[in-house]
Amino acid sequence: MAYVAVSGGEEAIEASIRLLEYYRSGTEKDLELEVIEEKMSLLVDKVMSEAGLYSKRYAALALKQCEGSVEEAVFLLRAYRSTLKRSYDTRVADTGNMRIVRRISAAFKDIQGGQILGATYDYTHRLMHFELEHEDAEKLHERMEELIQEQEPAPEEFCGRVSDELKKEGLIDSYPVNEEKPFDITENFLEFPTVRSARLQTLTRADSGFISGLAYSVLRGFGQVHPTVGELRSGYVELEIPYLQDPEESLWIGEVFLSEVEVFNEADEKDKLKLACGYGAVFGRNENKAIAMAVIDRELDAGGDYPTQDEEFVLMHGDSLEMNGFISHLKLPHYVTFQSKLDAVRKTRRGKNDGQI
Amino acid sequence: MKKQRLSKILARCTRETVHTLADEIRAEHDIVIVKAPEKSLAMIKMREPVKETLFYLGEVIICEAIVSLDGVKGMAALMGDDFDKVLDMAVIDAACSRGVFREEAFLTELEKAQEERRQKENAMFMNTMVNFKSMDSEVQG
Repeated sequence: MAYVAVSGGEEAIEASIRLLEYYRSGTEKDLELEVIEEKMSLLVDKVMSEAGLYSKRYAALALKQCEGSVEEAVFLLRAYRSTLKRSYDTRVADTGNMRIVRRISAAFKDIQGGQILGATYDYTHRLMHFELEHEDAEKLHERMEELIQEQEPAPEEFCGRVSDELKKEGLIDSYPVNEEKPFDITENFLEFPTVRSARLQTLTRADSGFISGLAYSVLRGFGQVHPTVGELRSGYVELEIPYLQDPEESLWIGEVFLSEVEVFNEADEKDKLKLACGYGAVFGRNENKAIAMAVIDRELDAGGDYPTQDEEFVLMHGDSLEMNGFISHLKLPHYVTFQSKLDAVRKTRRGKNDGQI
Repeated sequence: MKKQRLSKILARCTRETVHTLADEIRAEHDIVIVKAPEKSLAMIKMREPVKETLFYLGEVIICEAIVSLDGVKGMAALMGDDFDKVLDMAVIDAACSRGVFREEAFLTELEKAQEERRQKENAMFMNTMVNFKSMDSEVQG
């Protein structure tokens, strides 16, 4: 099917773009970026994760600009990042040194360093808090600040991984440290079969809904059924880049909030004496996505006939920008191609009426 | 002071504090801007624990600047787009490299305060540590 360009409608398009402002004009109150960043942080995290770009302020700005549409915000951030040069790869970020604010295991109740619930909605009653309609935000801020000041300082302790113990016992395979330069999907097209680094980079910025749906299909029977979350940890990871005047030195540039998960499965149906792991790591407080990523990582390792075990199926259909771009294009004018389809149908009907078919 | 430590303390300071420190240096030394503050990207390289391979997690927006103080270069880079702060940090870095920065003791005090704040925050999270009691005496692990 060929595409034919048409022209016209420029003024209508300009008026349409101007009209978008109408939908942001329903109130005289402004939506400050700081408010989006601090009070819609899970939404900001989702946008950063799917954009593959960690910048709370710019994610908040993108959300403000497009009325809270995740896919539009992702598009804006991806477009903006393409205007910037990349100056550095960071030093290898180590989640083993994460400043942990939440860490749980569904596999063992007693883990080194303890299970830390952190802040989670898991145990909340899902009841509407109508008093938030008229919340005193200043008072809330002050109350939390006072709470911090009342604390007795507790030195941070870095925790070993749950999987480390299982590796020591030989229940999980250990691998030598691999220094191979990662594949970068922002600079290269995926080819199949692909390498692990390309898979992980693709999964970490996949659309949350897509990857969660895939993982759900695994749990419902279209895959290896029920993995166990060996460890879920979330917290802050420090980033460093080389110091140009002395490569032995590093500059600390900040920290990013990550959610990281390892899931455990039986290695395979024949070898039930070992466990195999799947891995997920994503920007922000986004742990269901991290779990889903780990489930899919393991499915892809296992291979098989289910869609979630097909690398090309999983990795080519989960990018927010690509999927929404392609679906969105369906609503753009297809006058010539549709006319061609219509002509074909009419011709067939005429032929049928003439008794030719 | 190692560059990692210096940059970490300064990055966590308010821009006003960093500006005051940099202005004291500017008053006594000639500063030339070698690379004006600009935005760019840094790609986060991670190691995953399952197969010990490296992969790219995603990018962060950073701003960076390079200055020269009496011929000695100073560099700073920071997540975000605070051009004024990163330029001030580069001035302080140059002063440290040149050996003319006199506020190390002050920075050490700031570091201590930053650390205490983090430890207090950490205490809040540690309060959510679970103390399990098994309901079944036969279940041990």
